[in-house]
Amino acid sequence: MNVICCLKQVPNTAEVKIDPETNTLIRAGVESITNPYDTVALEAGLIIKDKYGGTVTAISMGPPQAEEILREAIALGADEGILLSDRAFAGADTLATSYTLAKAIQQLERPAPVDLVLCGKQAIDGDTAQVGPGIATRLGYGQFTYVAEIREIDEAKRRITVKRKVEGGFEVIRGPLPAVLTVELDLAKPRRASLPRLIYSLRTGITLWNAETIHGDPQRLGLKGSPTWVKKIFSPPLKQGGPVFDARKEPRRAVEDCLNILLADEMFAWHFLKRWER
Amino acid sequence: MAKNLKGIEVAEIISDKCIGCQICVAECPVGAIEMKGGVACIDPEICIGCGKCFEVCPVEAVRFEKERREDAVTKPEETQKDIYADYRGVAVFIEVWNGGGASVSWELTGKARELAGKLQTKVIGLLAGHEVDGVAGEAIAYGCDEVHIIDDPLLKVYLSRSYGKALSDLCQKVKPEIVLVGATPVGRDLASVVATTIGTGLTADCTGLDIDEEKRLLLMTRPTFGGNIMATIFCEHHRPQMSTVRPKVFALCPRDEGRKGDVHRYPLEPPHGELPEIVEFVRHVADEGTADITRFPALVVAGKGACDPESAPMLQELADVVGGVVACSRPVVEAGFMPYERQVGQTGKTVAPKLYFAIGVSGAVQHLVGMQGSEKIVAVNSDPSAPIFNIATAGILGDYRQVVPLLIEELRKKLKGG
Ligand SMILES: Cc1cc2nc3c(=O)[nH]c(=O)nc-3n(C[C@H](O)[C@H](O)[C@H](O)COP(=O)(O)OP(=O)(O)OC[C@H]3O[C@@H](n4cnc5c(N)ncnc54)[C@H](O)[C@@H]3O)c2cc1C
Ligand SMILES: Cc1cc2nc3c(=O)[nH]c(=O)nc-3n(C[C@H](O)[C@H](O)[C@H](O)COP(=O)(O)OP(=O)(O)OC[C@H]3O[C@@H](n4cnc5c(N)ncnc54)[C@H](O)[C@@H]3O)c2cc1C
Repeated sequence: MNVICCLKQVPNTAEVKIDPETNTLIRAGVESITNPYDTVALEAGLIIKDKYGGTVTAISMGPPQAEEILREAIALGADEGILLSDRAFAGADTLATSYTLAKAIQQLERPAPVDLVLCGKQAIDGDTAQVGPGIATRLGYGQFTYVAEIREIDEAKRRITVKRKVEGGFEVIRGPLPAVLTVELDLAKPRRASLPRLIYSLRTGITLWNAETIHGDPQRLGLKGSPTWVKKIFSPPLKQGGPVFDARKEPRRAVEDCLNILLADEMFAWHFLKRWER
Repeated sequence: MAKNLKGIEVAEIISDKCIGCQICVAECPVGAIEMKGGVACIDPEICIGCGKCFEVCPVEAVRFEKERREDAVTKPEETQKDIYADYRGVAVFIEVWNGGGASVSWELTGKARELAGKLQTKVIGLLAGHEVDGVAGEAIAYGCDEVHIIDDPLLKVYLSRSYGKALSDLCQKVKPEIVLVGATPVGRDLASVVATTIGTGLTADCTGLDIDEEKRLLLMTRPTFGGNIMATIFCEHHRPQMSTVRPKVFALCPRDEGRKGDVHRYPLEPPHGELPEIVEFVRHVADEGTADITRFPALVVAGKGACDPESAPMLQELADVVGGVVACSRPVVEAGFMPYERQVGQTGKTVAPKLYFAIGVSGAVQHLVGMQGSEKIVAVNSDPSAPIFNIATAGILGDYRQVVPLLIEELRKKLKGG
């Protein structure tokens, strides 16, 4: 199996806080990490390699700094790390991102056909979940989003069976390879790097590709190839809260007062007392 | 003002304001800007002090002395306008769910009517499926002026490729200027296929949509950085302008059975390649803790402050009394006290019940973005400065273990009396 894992370096958004005084982001000390969903995608790739043999290639589009996450991927067991880095890629929205990644995957198809492309369900910073389906569409590969389990890979028939989360339940679906999967967090639990691999990863070079290497059309890369532009930002408006009743002294009184406010709206009270019947 | 070694006045990034959009990196004529830790960084020795980054930054995160030159950012629009004259109408992808239209599709139809009013154009329903004539009728009742249908046995079940082909073809035939898609599992899977196929922009999970009437632009607002910041995104030079919107963000508008509309039908052009087959569908069992919390008129939401197995019966009783179900904040899921399906918020579900009880919920932004649309919010919290009180219709300050039993009692009285 020839597996490609798409990894994105993201700021650890759990640490990004907002300064209430100035309404700006507090960036100091926020570390960059591999998108948590992508560590699961990588783990899934490594499990497939353990089971069926083959190679796992990790690719990432980003600034030179993103090399770190590819080195980490190698420490965990990826065979190669390819960094797509070029000023021409900067400012890409999801359309341009999926174009760039798809072009890179086409390069990787040359020596040997690709079987699987594994992506995270979404990146925790951009949070659009649009890149995976974009890659599948551009390459004409099968598309399986929200994958919670890889049930079976039939190498002879070139078929994959996965379980995916859908509205109201799960679906088990089987389709031809090559395919793009976007994975849920519960698909696999990422392993830890072994010491020898860790040392190996520090000595291994990361392959660097630019716009020329992937034969990218300059009009379709980065900001130029991006139809969507962020035009402005603002803080979410704060709503004004209603009265707060102190239940620490007279609890029943507070509860009564609160319910009176609630049911003062006649339409609402009517619906409520009818227990929401139509 | 910073000067470099050559004595040139250079630009500086105010990193706390930078949102990492990389527009300046792409626009810098000398390649002096690089991303570091998610923030743009200017190398002062490469910078030539031209001020381009200052002009293009959408969030004023560049410090530079020169006057902001407005003309530098404007692009040739006159020629563009003619190209887009062919694109008219606000379209909604109508998702079929259990044989009827998904409610998010009707929420979007209502919003589309408002947008179409500002643009003085029509509302278009785009419908794919099999034996969906009834849904087309519903679409007109909810506000569509036209419904365009591809009806084919192949579309009986949702597959990315067949639906992707059908909706892309409909967009290319009908040429709407705007396409709205519900951010359901199906909608999110599908919208990106369509946007990529037709090569246009797609803004994810918008919570606000508005129109710049003069430029016929859709202003798409979405929360970013965990809901701390709202970003408004434009798609100026491509049509249609596409956006996904989560369920319950916009209100459901009443239907009008008397409305009239046109229905157009097209054959399905079969997609290329072999299609996958669905082997099995496993429906969540409602009483296994996987009830769809978005469908209930009342929710009793437990926060970390009420995350105690002993309190579970009490919260359940309150939920029963008000005709709702229990839900929770993220720490409660993390504690293994409730399943993820019950989580409200940015990384959980967006809900908008008629009545929302927040019990021991502090009201973090990531929680608020998922429940702000609730009609009435009652907060019970022991901390007078808890932010949840800022959005609550009414609040009760105190220990929930004392307050909730009283709430149950008083509510029972009211229900009996009414
Ligand atoms: C405030 C703000 C709002 C934005 N809103 C939008 C928007 O609404 N629409 C839009 O088109 N763009 C938007 N963008 C741009 C978007 O964040 C970037 O295009 C980003 O490169 C990819 O989108 P994502 O982070 O949402 O990825 P997702 O689509 O959520 O990522 C899914 C998976 O794709 C793979 N992947 C994604 N990016 C890379 C990469 N660089 N290298 C390797 N693998 C990758 C990973 O496996 C990842 O798990 C926005 C940017 C900002 C700053
Ligand atoms: C990227 C990201 C995504 C996130 N997504 C979500 C999401 O989807 N949903 C979500 O909920 N959170 C989400 N969070 C977490 C969020 O930031 C908050 O940490 C979380 O919402 C807090 O939950 P809480 O209010 O239950 O707990 P806390 O903030 O700990 O609040 C507990 C409250 O209970 C009160 N309390 C304690 N004891 C009592 C008592 N005896 N009686 C009455 N009141 C009492 C306290 O005063 C306090 O206000 C996300 C965070 C990040 C960074």
